[in-house]
Amino acid sequence: MKYAFWPGCVSRGAAPELYTATKAVAEHIGMELVELEAAACTGAGIISDGDPYLQDVLNARTLAMASKMGLPLIDICSTCIGVHSLAVEKLENEEYRARINERLAPEGLEYTGDTKPRHLLWALFEDLEGDRLRSLIKRPLAELKLGPFYGCYILRPERVLGFEEHPHRRRSLETAIELVGASVVTYDGMTKCCGFPILTTNKRNSLTMAGGHVSEAKDSGADALVTPCPLCHLNLDAQQYDAARVVHRELDLPILHLPQLIGLAMGIEPGKLGLDGHVVNTKPLLRKAGVR
Amino acid sequence: MPKQDFVIERYDPATGRNYEQQFTAEYESGQTVLDCLNDIKWTQDGTLSFRWSCRHAICGSCAMKVNGRSMLACKTQVTDIVGRGDPIRVAPMGNQKVVKDLVVDISNFLDAFERAETWLQEIPDQAPPSREYRTSKDEFDRWSHTATCIHCGACYSDCTVVATDPKFLGPAALAKAYRFVFDSRDSKKRERLEFLSEKHGIWDCTRCFMCIEACPKDVLPMDAIMELRTEAMREGITNNHGSRHSNAFRGGVRKRGRLDEATLPILSAGMRLGAIPELIGYTPGALRLLKSRKLLMAAKRHGANREGRQHIRRIFDEVEAEKARGAVDAEAFAAERSSALMAH
Repeated sequence: MKYAFWPGCVSRGAAPELYTATKAVAEHIGMELVELEAAACTGAGIISDGDPYLQDVLNARTLAMASKMGLPLIDICSTCIGVHSLAVEKLENEEYRARINERLAPEGLEYTGDTKPRHLLWALFEDLEGDRLRSLIKRPLAELKLGPFYGCYILRPERVLGFEEHPHRRRSLETAIELVGASVVTYDGMTKCCGFPILTTNKRNSLTMAGGHVSEAKDSGADALVTPCPLCHLNLDAQQYDAARVVHRELDLPILHLPQLIGLAMGIEPGKLGLDGHVVNTKPLLRKAGVR
Repeated sequence: MPKQDFVIERYDPATGRNYEQQFTAEYESGQTVLDCLNDIKWTQDGTLSFRWSCRHAICGSCAMKVNGRSMLACKTQVTDIVGRGDPIRVAPMGNQKVVKDLVVDISNFLDAFERAETWLQEIPDQAPPSREYRTSKDEFDRWSHTATCIHCGACYSDCTVVATDPKFLGPAALAKAYRFVFDSRDSKKRERLEFLSEKHGIWDCTRCFMCIEACPKDVLPMDAIMELRTEAMREGITNNHGSRHSNAFRGGVRKRGRLDEATLPILSAGMRLGAIPELIGYTPGALRLLKSRKLLMAAKRHGANREGRQHIRRIFDEVEAEKARGAVDAEAFAAERSSALMAH
């Protein structure tokens, strides 16, 4: 299993623990990740505020790189997979694609429409046999109650995310929590916005969202949340103490990146999963899970 | 006939009591949630309150939450949403005060249209044409889908921003504003874009796609909001957080090929006096990030490799030249709009 791997900006910046954990898990299960070191940021829907065309060119380039390598493209960020998937849809328009390909030609790249980007969360269940996946779970986390937190772009718009063809993607995160043997805690906010996109434009509103979701999850009995999106992680973990002030309560709810959860259950040492790199302390959670 | 359980969220204003009540209704293939609600009201409990009128997705009266998502009860067939024996959960729309059972007070939703003045502001002192005021087909194609809004409020009900900021104009009013911004018969484009760029307007949207998913008429409200942002920036209305954030983000990617987390908050706040308290507000968070080594990593300023950076810069240069020559961004939106409308 060999993949073109787009780590996204945040796993190479403010959430390095996601990168570490992804590499550890990939190595453990024999996924070879070939990193797209020349690729650009997806623009995250922010470059497109002023320059939608430019954002499409940058993403077509990344899709074309994977295609040239002949490898399936893997993302580890809900925002990246959402923006890549929307680009794929737009680039089905042949006239538009031809215009964009002119920008890629000097680099010897051409996007032909054959790249189907996937999030690691989907690829795990689509590329590994269920039995093999289950056999890798050496340390079931049966003591833990975990809430999913998806991040908008891995859920919406459904039309670009292959939900019809792959219905399991609708509840992929619950499936991952079940896979590791933990119990799933559901709550209203789990499919909503974490608030990160408006953190700099409307901080109070952004933190009200983050604080509200974490509060609700905590009240529903969650020991921690799990997210496939490092941007959600930044708002739910790195901003959690500011969010707590906005919602006037203590929160202290650890937020795990998806590969950290999978890695823990596969028996990988917490140190190799970057679990000491969070703002909210994960040690009490690890103790509860019986991981030393 | 098959039977289906419904769990309905109820509220009695006389007693202030909130409760859930279960009903069972028979249904035939092709029947809608609204048909079942009417059956329940007519044969089981006449006090159950909900709005409805046309029964064919035109009047916009019967929006409510069905299994947690806002939709028109008259456009939702029972067979499409029945689970494995699970009851269908029906609740009033969100983000608005419940008046009784499934009826909510929609005045805040309607106020947003007034605030955004979503009606044609005519060009003053023009001689009337001999027949009607015409518009081009291209122009009509750009906004006609937004004119199909039936004001049902499903988007407003699911909007993640209205949930935390009731003053946010909301998806429907913003989509309606879009329709006039891009109508050449309207005289207030610039004023509209300035107003929409203020607080509680286009820059407060989180881009969560909830409204696009909820809308029963394919108005694509969020896409309209995004196009308003691009148009406002094109018009030079950039003295706001959102524009600064987008420009700063873009600048970082131009330079290094990747998001530059170290400078983004500072550049978004802007070089102005009002930014000082905001930047101080970031310090406790920054200190915690420092402790967790996160800031250190961000400050290391990762980037694309050398060859990648060269091509990324070339693309930025080429696209800037292309933008100066023609409407490439309008093409980008047109491509998105046509594929979205085709898929829905």
